[in-house]
Amino acid sequence: MASSNLLSIVVFLPLAGAVAAAFFPASESGQHRALALVVSLATFLVSLGLWFGFDLSPGAPEFQFQVHVPWIASLGIGYHVGIDGVALLLVMLTTALTPIVILSAWNAVQDRVKEFMIALLVLETAMIGTFAALDLILFYVFWESVLIPMYLLIGVWGSENRLYATVKFFIYTFVASVLMLVAIIYVGGRAGGTFDYVQVREVFQTSPSAQRWLFLAFAAAFAVKVPMFPVHTWLPDAHTEAPTAGSVILAGVLLKMGTFGFFRYALPLFPEAALHFRPHIATLAVIGIVYGALMCFVQKDMKRLVAYSSVSHMGFVMLGLMALTAEGLTGGVYQMLNHGVSTGALFLMVGMLYERRHTRAIAEYGGVARRVPWIAAAFVVVTLSSIGLPGTNGFVGEFLILSGTWLGRLAHAPWFSAIGATGVILGAVYMLLLVERVFFGPMTNEKNAGLLDLSLREWAVMAPLIVLIGVMGLVPQPFLAPAKQPVDRLLTRFAAAEQRLRDQDPSRPPTTGTQPPAIAGRE
Amino acid sequence: MNGPPTTDLAAMLPVAILTSGALVLLMSEVFLTSGRRGYQAGLTVATAAIAAIAAIAVPPAGRIFGGQAVVDAFSVFITVTVCGGLALTTLVGAPWLAERGAERGEFYALTLFAATGMSLLGSASDLLVAFIAIEVMSLSTYALAAWMRRGRKPAEAAFKYFLLGAFSSALFIYGSALVYGATGSTLFSAIPRGSGPLVVVGIGLVGAGLAFKVAAVPFHLWTPDVYEGAPTPVTAFMAAGVKTAAFAVLARVLVSVWGGAALASSFGGVVAVLAILTMLFGNLLALPQRSVKRMLAYSSIAHAGYLLVGVVAAGAAGARESAISSVLFYLAAYTATVIGAFAVVGALERRGAPGEEHEDSWDLSRLAGLAKRRPGLAFAMTIFMLSLAGVPPTAGFIGKLLVFKAAIGAQAYGLAIIGVLTSALGAYYYLRVVVYMYMRAPEGEEEATLSPSLTVALAASALAVVVLGIGPEPVAALARAASILTP
Repeated sequence: MASSNLLSIVVFLPLAGAVAAAFFPASESGQHRALALVVSLATFLVSLGLWFGFDLSPGAPEFQFQVHVPWIASLGIGYHVGIDGVALLLVMLTTALTPIVILSAWNAVQDRVKEFMIALLVLETAMIGTFAALDLILFYVFWESVLIPMYLLIGVWGSENRLYATVKFFIYTFVASVLMLVAIIYVGGRAGGTFDYVQVREVFQTSPSAQRWLFLAFAAAFAVKVPMFPVHTWLPDAHTEAPTAGSVILAGVLLKMGTFGFFRYALPLFPEAALHFRPHIATLAVIGIVYGALMCFVQKDMKRLVAYSSVSHMGFVMLGLMALTAEGLTGGVYQMLNHGVSTGALFLMVGMLYERRHTRAIAEYGGVARRVPWIAAAFVVVTLSSIGLPGTNGFVGEFLILSGTWLGRLAHAPWFSAIGATGVILGAVYMLLLVERVFFGPMTNEKNAGLLDLSLREWAVMAPLIVLIGVMGLVPQPFLAPAKQPVDRLLTRFAAAEQRLRDQDPSRPPTTGTQPPAIAGRE
Repeated sequence: MNGPPTTDLAAMLPVAILTSGALVLLMSEVFLTSGRRGYQAGLTVATAAIAAIAAIAVPPAGRIFGGQAVVDAFSVFITVTVCGGLALTTLVGAPWLAERGAERGEFYALTLFAATGMSLLGSASDLLVAFIAIEVMSLSTYALAAWMRRGRKPAEAAFKYFLLGAFSSALFIYGSALVYGATGSTLFSAIPRGSGPLVVVGIGLVGAGLAFKVAAVPFHLWTPDVYEGAPTPVTAFMAAGVKTAAFAVLARVLVSVWGGAALASSFGGVVAVLAILTMLFGNLLALPQRSVKRMLAYSSIAHAGYLLVGVVAAGAAGARESAISSVLFYLAAYTATVIGAFAVVGALERRGAPGEEHEDSWDLSRLAGLAKRRPGLAFAMTIFMLSLAGVPPTAGFIGKLLVFKAAIGAQAYGLAIIGVLTSALGAYYYLRVVVYMYMRAPEGEEEATLSPSLTVALAASALAVVVLGIGPEPVAALARAASILTP
């Protein structure tokens, strides 16, 4: 069936492009840029087929565009791919960001262009594969494959301190992931020797204590990737040292792999354990929100500031997921997209400034809006989106998360919501301070006198993102709709898990779902 | 009695082919007139290929020579793996030796003799046959280790290897004698008949002898010096072939021990402790090494630890097949990977005048900027390093996946967790190699030379690593078929 192969094409088209690029001479960097751009645009166009072909009607199958062929049959490992609405959104985010990233690196990367483009394309395949995989081992393979090109992107094309950053990035994520591998193997063994996610989810059963260990193993891998406080320390280093393209992909897509992992694997596979650890994770999420925001105030480096803001924003996503209400989960998913778009855009803009001045230090700038009004305007729009101004995409996500948390039945939910909300305020302060220090006020540094405004290529890079910010803020429905069914299914699973727990302990209060509005907020 | 039946002899065809090849090469040196030795490597590769084909083509005969040897799918798998390793080693070794003016027919003959012993070890199901096979293998590798004897390090390596090897052989034969005393037989299958301290001590000594060969901690002390001092292609062959053969016989012995009721639960704990120590110390000691060759030596210890995890898992009756097949797959994957890695090390090795030695012959800095100087070589080395680290999609990942899956199937969760954590530790020093190749500026202008045969060997092993990583099913199925040991 042609439509079912569409997903595999989207997954492997970038890889095919990378293989093709290997045969072009390295000296022809122009060819490599063009080839990578064409391949990534083609991938985007093909992925539009997924977007428009996805069936959103209530009776539609959960996973669409499925392909299921044996891979290592004797171990019960199959090549099984398919996407639900959330995976669809993230696949689209990936395919949309990659051409933008390639275009943004057009002039910034002059050294070893061939290898750079190959790494980006391989990375795209690995990322899409991570979202599309429906087999636990296949998922792990894609998940780990992401590390290698990213490791090279930071290590080869990064700035001064890149070796430290890239090794730290690799070790953090690798150590956390191998524990997940053990858990995956255990789960597969208990599920009767199959690693197929759809089957495993139905048949897997284990003791409560084993479930908690397994949840922790999965959660460790995902929490490092998100990254959650206190395992976030690789992120500021990796972001700061990575080339712009690497930062954008890292913030835009890689971090979402962590939250996606919670949504797809850790929560539905181990609902009882998830309920058990939920208050702890929500607490860490809130700490991350506030801590990340506070760290932003003391940063002197623009990229580092944006990196810490990522810690804060991803804390929101986790808080939304942990609320286990329809609003919170939907908001979490939506915020993943927002963060991808707006933080991606922020890193792109910082990269543009860096290309012009070769410094990321905030103090080196000031008052440059007069020289580069369009950069300033774009930066302000992106900033407003990042801080969740109504009318931008960020508002929709943060509002859903905070209201979803407030309405949730998590113990002390209003507190989580209230403390989380301070992150919104702090976010507005540090981002606007950044804008003020960089773009407004008197121009003190005369080196900035010769800055050039957005070039045509940079317009092409920024325009789609700015349009998306507006569209997703004003017309969120098309982007919220695909998330509805996966969110509902997850909530149904949790309701069932909750029922099992209440069968054992009738006095247990309900903790999932939304409170009736009458009592909401009265605690 | 008219001697063994011809069917038994026919079953030994691969061993016979390897031996004949060795004899032909020995003679070739006598009749050599022109000084051109290019054909010798070709002959060795051809012999290895024919032996492998013969191993596959001859139907497994089961128990032969009164049960002293067994030809089953397991032994065929070992023979083919050894022959593959031999062919790769030869392709790597020929240019290495030629550049140093040390290419002789005897070298190839010795590798073939060693392969004979290794192949025989895969079949051995009798302590004495195993001992003879070990000696055939070991004596050849002692000589090979001493091949570049003019130098302090090679001499030290060879002498150390010989002394400690002889010691381990003595342990093995003494243990065999005790087992014979307890059971009245030297057959593996007779071991479970015995009970009491005599057989336990006997098996313990046999196991210690084999632990020397696989370089398990605390029997590993010879490994780094010998691996570093031996000629690089020989090191590759030792890491791949000796390990494969020793693990084959270790698996057979232990499965026999565990097969019986009397000793069913013994030794599992001991091997588990060995596995943990080996994984831990192998990785920890590899961490600070700056010499790539020495790092790979310690890493080979670490890999012995992962293989031991598979062996431990074979102790659980329910997980035996999956454990043995995981060990077999791991050995095949490791053979391809490690020979490729040593081939790169050999290609970049500093070449001095004979007898001249450098402390930094294999220093990490020799890899600096390799990606710019030799992109292909750097890419191949990256594949090998990722495979050793167990990063998908490489053969090393599937090998570790299978081993840890077997361990979890055997409910050895602790071993699996220590295994993955130490392999994460390993990722650090393997990646350091990648860091030097891709992220450091080149130091010095010395060019690595790539002869055609080395290129072929590198391409073949890199391809094998990737193919085993992406499409492991055929080999995994073969390993599964080979996992049922003929008692």
